[in-house]
Amino acid sequence: MEKPPNRSAPPFVPAYLLLIKRWLLARGLSRHASIVLLLLVLLGEAGVAVFVMLDLSRSYATVQGMYNGSVQGLVRFGDLQYEAQETRRSTLYALTTNDGNLMVEYADQSRNADRGVTRGIAQYRSQARTARERQVGQRLADDWDAYLKVRDEVLGLILEGSPKEAVHLDLSLGVPEFDRVRQDLEEIKQTYDEQASQQLATVAELSRRSMVRLGAALGFGLLLGTVAIWAIQKGRLRSAVELAKLQMDFVASVSHELRTPLTAILTAGENVRDGLASGHDRLFEQGSVITDQAAQLMELVDQVLSFSATSQVQIAQTLRDLRVDEVVDHALRATKWMLEAADFTVEPQVEPDLPPIVGDLSVLSQCLQNLIVNAVKYSNGNRWIGISARLNQQDREVLISVRDRGMGIQAADLSRIFEPFYRSPEVVAAQIRGTGLGLSIAKRGAEVFGGGLSVSTQVGVGSTFTLRLPVAKEIRRRSLAPSARTGAQL
Amino acid sequence: MAVSTRVSKVVIAIALVLARMRDPVAQAASPSAEARSKPSQFLAIVVNRSNPVNNLSFSELRKIFLGERNHWPNGHRIAIAMLDYGQPERRTVLRLVYRMDENAYQDHLLRGMFLGDVFVAPRTLASPVIARKFVFNAPGAIGYLRASDVDDSVKVVRIDGLLPDNKDYRLQIDEPRVE
Repeated sequence: MEKPPNRSAPPFVPAYLLLIKRWLLARGLSRHASIVLLLLVLLGEAGVAVFVMLDLSRSYATVQGMYNGSVQGLVRFGDLQYEAQETRRSTLYALTTNDGNLMVEYADQSRNADRGVTRGIAQYRSQARTARERQVGQRLADDWDAYLKVRDEVLGLILEGSPKEAVHLDLSLGVPEFDRVRQDLEEIKQTYDEQASQQLATVAELSRRSMVRLGAALGFGLLLGTVAIWAIQKGRLRSAVELAKLQMDFVASVSHELRTPLTAILTAGENVRDGLASGHDRLFEQGSVITDQAAQLMELVDQVLSFSATSQVQIAQTLRDLRVDEVVDHALRATKWMLEAADFTVEPQVEPDLPPIVGDLSVLSQCLQNLIVNAVKYSNGNRWIGISARLNQQDREVLISVRDRGMGIQAADLSRIFEPFYRSPEVVAAQIRGTGLGLSIAKRGAEVFGGGLSVSTQVGVGSTFTLRLPVAKEIRRRSLAPSARTGAQL
Repeated sequence: MAVSTRVSKVVIAIALVLARMRDPVAQAASPSAEARSKPSQFLAIVVNRSNPVNNLSFSELRKIFLGERNHWPNGHRIAIAMLDYGQPERRTVLRLVYRMDENAYQDHLLRGMFLGDVFVAPRTLASPVIARKFVFNAPGAIGYLRASDVDDSVKVVRIDGLLPDNKDYRLQIDEPRVE
């Protein structure tokens, strides 16, 4: 047998994309899944926002650190350089005057400036981080002290009235000492420049990285949002298509179900009209066909109306306490003709002394009848049905089960058999007639009275459908389920 | 003359008391401020703190101020700080140390400069604060200040072994400060 071509995803497609494609998109999204997905998108976007804010905060801290480290350092360096120049400038001014008062004033200015320089050097040394900075700071402090000693002597000579000696001393010692100080300051400036360049490069890299991260985060958010919207829209579209398909199937199925008895009624009527049915027996036979087919037609219409009523939760049944055997007997009596015609064996097994349940007899009987009819339809030739009723003490429920030895239900169909109008492909292929409403009506009917319907099945072995109905005391204790309160009167 | 001097002393004292009563900050001032509000009448001879000299005889002091001695023992040239004209401290020094009046002092200075006996003319400085800074900055400087104007930036030299607050200290100002 030729295998179909391998349609697996190419190796570069990550596994999670396949998961999204197969699980989220291919199957469509339910309403709850859509809400969860939107919440996930919201959380994702919030995470992206937090991430971006943290990133910006880190960038700001780095820039601030750079400003404190380099820009303010350069400002301090500028002050230091100015004060050093002022120290020397004031000393030289003192040389240019014969006024003792001005000399003292210039000397005072020089000393004030040198105190500023000394403070600046101490601050630089205290903030030095690298060995080079510490080394330069130490050298500057030593050179500055050496210059100040010369400066003091020069000032002394000026004030003592020895300007020539002062000039000589300044040229021979003061100028070289101050040049050394200037070189030290230039070296400090160079270290600041290098630091600023490095930090500028760091900021540029940080900025580039932030832009990349921001772009990636926004792209991720956009992608996530797009995927979510696409998935939700696809889910809605799929639901609408499925609903339309189910409605089309329903119309086709109902039309077929209507056409069959109508054809039989039409044929029997024509036989009577055309005189083909003569004699009492023949007329009785044709009349029976008409009444039987009309009854079947009535049943079909009732089922559709019943589904319509239960789907809109507009049942206004008269609720009362019901005996379980009463419900079972009612359903068996209603389906007796069909069971006998099909030659089925029915084994009822109702536990004695079961507590009463609350409900409407006709509705609950209809639920049970639908299950019995299904057991007959899908018996696969095994003409046996077991009906049992027992008490679940733990949950205070009565369990009414209808068991068959028929074809069973495929696992893929289990999640959909209670959907209205749904009919499995195998059943359709086997040309087993039906509307796809029976199980939906049974489940809805049980839920109206606070109960439910479940199934256990095995393909080729058979199925067991179980109606779960709360006992009368329990349902009163629960103050009625919300569904029971709707349109019901206790 | 003596009466007018006493009257001016009383007037200045009253003015100082009134000014102090008006100024609450001055009322809570430190002892040094208190001392400044009552100027000392003793004249301290001050030198640079690096000067090794601690004591001078009165005759040595006179020689220094007259320009007869030009260098300190450590080799630094002596630089004399004189307060400006009209200051009581200046008049006291002229009277007690130079034993001259202002005119005689000017004549002495011109003659000394002309003959080369005086190498460097004394620096005439505007206020005691500038004089104190001058002495602080010049290693060979010598000057005079009221004892209340002295601080740690300069060193007070004993005169004949006496400090300004000692008994029998000779350099006393007999007139109030001119503000």
